[in-house]
Amino acid sequence: MRPENYQARSQPPSNEFELNFGPNHPGIEGNYAFRVKLNGDQVLEARADAGYLHRGFEKLMEGRLWIQNIALVPRICVPDPVPMEVCYSLAIEEIGGLEVPERAKWIRVMQLEMSRLAAHLFAFGGHAATTGMYTTMFWGVADRDLILDRFEELTGGRVYSIYNIPGGVRRDVPEGFLDRLSSLLDYLESRLPDYDNLFFTNQVFVKRARGVGAMTQEQALKWGVTGPNLRATGLEFDVRRDDPYLVYDQLDFEIPTESGGDALARNLVRRAELKQSIRILRQVIERLPSIEGPIRCPIPNPLAWNVPAGEAYTRVESSKGELAYYVVSTGGDKPYRVHVRGPSSMHAVQVLEKLALGARLEDIAQIMFSLDACPPEVDR
Amino acid sequence: MSKLDNIPVRHQPTEAAGRKRTNPLAHVFDELVKFCQSRSMFMLHYCTGCGAIELPPAMTSRFDMERLGIQPMVTPRQADILLITGYVSIKTLKRIILTYEQMQSPKYVIGICSCTVNGGMYWQSYATAKVLKDYLPVDVYIAGCMPRPEAVISGMRELMSDIKSGRAQNWKRYYENYDHYLGNQQKLFGEDWQTPTDIIAEARHYGLMTDRTLGEHTALLEKHQRPLEALEMRLSAREKQKT
Ligand code: SF4
Repeated sequence: MRPENYQARSQPPSNEFELNFGPNHPGIEGNYAFRVKLNGDQVLEARADAGYLHRGFEKLMEGRLWIQNIALVPRICVPDPVPMEVCYSLAIEEIGGLEVPERAKWIRVMQLEMSRLAAHLFAFGGHAATTGMYTTMFWGVADRDLILDRFEELTGGRVYSIYNIPGGVRRDVPEGFLDRLSSLLDYLESRLPDYDNLFFTNQVFVKRARGVGAMTQEQALKWGVTGPNLRATGLEFDVRRDDPYLVYDQLDFEIPTESGGDALARNLVRRAELKQSIRILRQVIERLPSIEGPIRCPIPNPLAWNVPAGEAYTRVESSKGELAYYVVSTGGDKPYRVHVRGPSSMHAVQVLEKLALGARLEDIAQIMFSLDACPPEVDR
Repeated sequence: MSKLDNIPVRHQPTEAAGRKRTNPLAHVFDELVKFCQSRSMFMLHYCTGCGAIELPPAMTSRFDMERLGIQPMVTPRQADILLITGYVSIKTLKRIILTYEQMQSPKYVIGICSCTVNGGMYWQSYATAKVLKDYLPVDVYIAGCMPRPEAVISGMRELMSDIKSGRAQNWKRYYENYDHYLGNQQKLFGEDWQTPTDIIAEARHYGLMTDRTLGEHTALLEKHQRPLEALEMRLSAREKQKT
């Protein structure tokens, strides 16, 4: 079912028709659309129709102060906003030569992994809903909400925290927070067998997802696939380990891979990553109390802060894949140019268009949710 | 500078023009209908912006809007509420208007998020429509960036009590001031903007024609009207069969 070797069956033209799939459609993640050409229920051609969420971020950021943009960047990817803030802050720190204190680095890692847990729970919950298993979706959303409660305690915001600033984080960890986080992790870990029984080993899911939207490792590399979707094709690549940022080089974790490259494998990778994230968070909880020191380095008055001229390219591993920022400063109080390299713009447009070829109409939703594409980040 | 006209005004219920109600039980029946309407609100499943991320928690086990009779619905024809969850880019706004016009009356619009009130943090963006109530009559605004699930539910309850007391009549304003809304839409989409729904005929049907329904902007509708080609083809084919 590859574009190269795919051949449409010749049928009388009356069997073919075009269908608008989205934007107002429950099988579409967010505000996104497809125009598909069908033969019966087999997809002959698919065209992504993006742009419903376009806000012109890269232009907006040129008109705002460096520090104001911190409030803007999490909006680029709604289900997983923390990596956006961290990556943007890392870029400014690299240009400005700021030395981030050790404690702030650990707090950032803690947030990143909490955000990854929340995003994965949401992602496979959404996938479960497209296969008609709404219980998993209800459970996933409810468990994600418990993580959001901890975010609220730490940062003050449920979804958008706006907690990282260049040079560190805004506030220190509240008293007793780590204990509550630890008991939350115990709870989540005790839920994993339930999720396995309900979803990941459930034949209803396994039989529907196996072989759907499969890609090989070469294709994945050629199409720019990153993150869990790439690891589902068997390549062990993770920015956290291969190009460590913050304190990931001091942490002990594994990089789960699968070999199928299909919707099932992608979900199983996410399932295994939940476990690894819990493992990382446990190490953070253990180490954080012993790391003393400030939570941010002194920065100049942020309202009149001229970041020195220069440019930086920083990348982090978000829950959707590799996320990178390219920031250019000409020494002014506003960025000269910010470019966001998001994982979803590859996954949701070119990869999805190709994987949908030859699939059945009802599988498009599965492919989209298994790629975990994030439409606001496609359009920006 | 007065900002009073930015505050949504609740429309006073008006009797449908020229219709006399003779049955003494009519108002009892009305009350019953209003009560039922307020207890079974189907909201259209359309996530227009980032506020949509707080809807899954609000709809599922934790906050559970279903206990209030609020359910997601996939087709606009069967939905009562159009939720605008956040910023609307111009491309989305076209779809929102098409969707809104397809919904059956009485219909209600809820604007979630500050972005629908005044543009929010995208006030200087070239790609978004700033004030939602210029294009559609909005019943309830829920401000916040983003509003928590509790806020969403409290906005819903506000709408419920408005429906029950008969105050939520904003959908009539769309028919009564169609020229104004269409003018704003044409400013954004160009003067040849057309929708497949015949709002003027519907306004006549509901008895909601005012002197603000028709005007210079609705005149442009006829000027730029394109023939519905597919329909014509089918009709002529059928006519041929007959002869
Ligand atoms: S008000 Fe905030 S959360 Fe809501 S759509 Fe606008 S930016 Fe997003």
